[in-house]
Amino acid sequence: MLKKYKLMMKVPKTPKNAYDHGRFISSLIEHQIKHFSEIERSLLKPGETLTDYTKIKTELQASKYLKHMTALAHERGGRAKGAVVAPEKTSSATNAAVSKSKTKKGKRKSR
Amino acid sequence: MPPAGLDNLKHIVVLMMENRSFDHMLGGLMKQYPRINGLTGNESNPDMNGTMVKVQPNAKFQGQLDHDPDHHFPGVDLQIFGGTPPGPGRVANMQGFIKSYATQGTSLNASHAIMSYFPPKSLPVLTTLATEFAVFNGWFSSIPGPTICNRAFAHYGTSFGNVDMNLFYIQDPIQSIYERMVNGGHTAKIYYYDQQSSTMEIVNLLKNQPQIFGSYSQFVADCNGNTLPEYSFIEPCYNDHPGPGGGQILASDQHPDHNVQEGERFIANTYNAIRTNERLWETTAMLIVYDEHGGIYDHVVPPACQPDGYSATADKTGTGEAFNFDRLGIRVPAILVSPYVPRGTVIPGTEDPNGLIFEHACIPGTVTDFFLKNYDQRTVREKNSRNFLTPLTDTLRPDDDCWVFDL
Repeated sequence: MLKKYKLMMKVPKTPKNAYDHGRFISSLIEHQIKHFSEIERSLLKPGETLTDYTKIKTELQASKYLKHMTALAHERGGRAKGAVVAPEKTSSATNAAVSKSKTKKGKRKSR
Repeated sequence: MPPAGLDNLKHIVVLMMENRSFDHMLGGLMKQYPRINGLTGNESNPDMNGTMVKVQPNAKFQGQLDHDPDHHFPGVDLQIFGGTPPGPGRVANMQGFIKSYATQGTSLNASHAIMSYFPPKSLPVLTTLATEFAVFNGWFSSIPGPTICNRAFAHYGTSFGNVDMNLFYIQDPIQSIYERMVNGGHTAKIYYYDQQSSTMEIVNLLKNQPQIFGSYSQFVADCNGNTLPEYSFIEPCYNDHPGPGGGQILASDQHPDHNVQEGERFIANTYNAIRTNERLWETTAMLIVYDEHGGIYDHVVPPACQPDGYSATADKTGTGEAFNFDRLGIRVPAILVSPYVPRGTVIPGTEDPNGLIFEHACIPGTVTDFFLKNYDQRTVREKNSRNFLTPLTDTLRPDDDCWVFDL
């Protein structure tokens, strides 16, 4: 609860229909995911499979992958040495974060 | 003796938003505040039919730029040089914005939207902070290119030769500003919004130095608990996703086509977290800045700059010409907030012969100079960058002289 201030300015609320987690990801988020995929590759333990990030199409799918990877980086990070290695071409599986997501509303318009 | 504002300064906070140009967000202020280098209303660009299209105060919060305007290196080159190919003697004219947007398959009418700007009353938070504190007429993105390389300048003072979105490789001996601070016995943190949004381009740092990261809720708690680090970098939410308890978290980065009003609320909330703690308010300077222009029109020609020793080859730039990091990207909004900044401060830019030029290398440059003093392991460009704390004065404004936002 804010105390009383002399100069208070009301800020308009964002309309509820602004929310759309089915929006297709922008080029920015696409690259963010690619970068996390490199981190994922470097943190994989034997027997673990790399997420197929190319199947991430919507902001909801992206948010699930990013949550998983951020937690992983916190958990396993700091122990790995050196910078991320350059990417290699590998095939990969899709993890649950991606396969459970749905793309109802998205239309790809972003570059 | 430094001014009291600097003498009392204990915290620097940087909030970096996404992809909006100066004129798009703040250009409309010039009518009421003539020292702000914004729009007269007569600025124009040719469309694909050759018709000159003037800037219009009809920017929308969402839905107008749903084709994400091009802001990669070749696209920005077109925007700045109007389509004149690289070569000796070509002149920047800021005449290629509509042409660039039209190449993305937008209709003739939709391509005109790139010339839209917000009337000041549409952005009460940003325009209030710009006019109540200090606005920089000459803060430019570091590279005429996209997000990742530009944000790299805010963290490292260089993009290590990159002009694109690729993952970059940190080259010794240059450390991020966070590592420099921590290794020097100081405190610093990057606050990303939450794990679903995470951090943008410094995943390498997240992997190797996870202890320097925190969430936005931690930032608010640190403000309330007087435990804010000396240097904080805030990242907005980059995507829409479900929140706790069935709620909805909206992207607040203002990247097209995310809702601009939500970004306004995020800026206001971040400001309030500092403003409503008197002890913190009097010892903190907060910079609000945008990473790059997002392909949206600005009328100011980007100036030359100090090269940083790197070069991007012609195949990397995509223009057929190498880039030596010797000129800046397009102008972006930048505002410095502190109770030691007099109301209505305008830092002149290229419109003034004595104007001052700022870019993102000024961020690690200023933070390093302020907290670490003499620190050599950085680029010449960062070392020579301008200090953005110069608007701080000796005079502390009274508490009832500064706004609080009611969210």
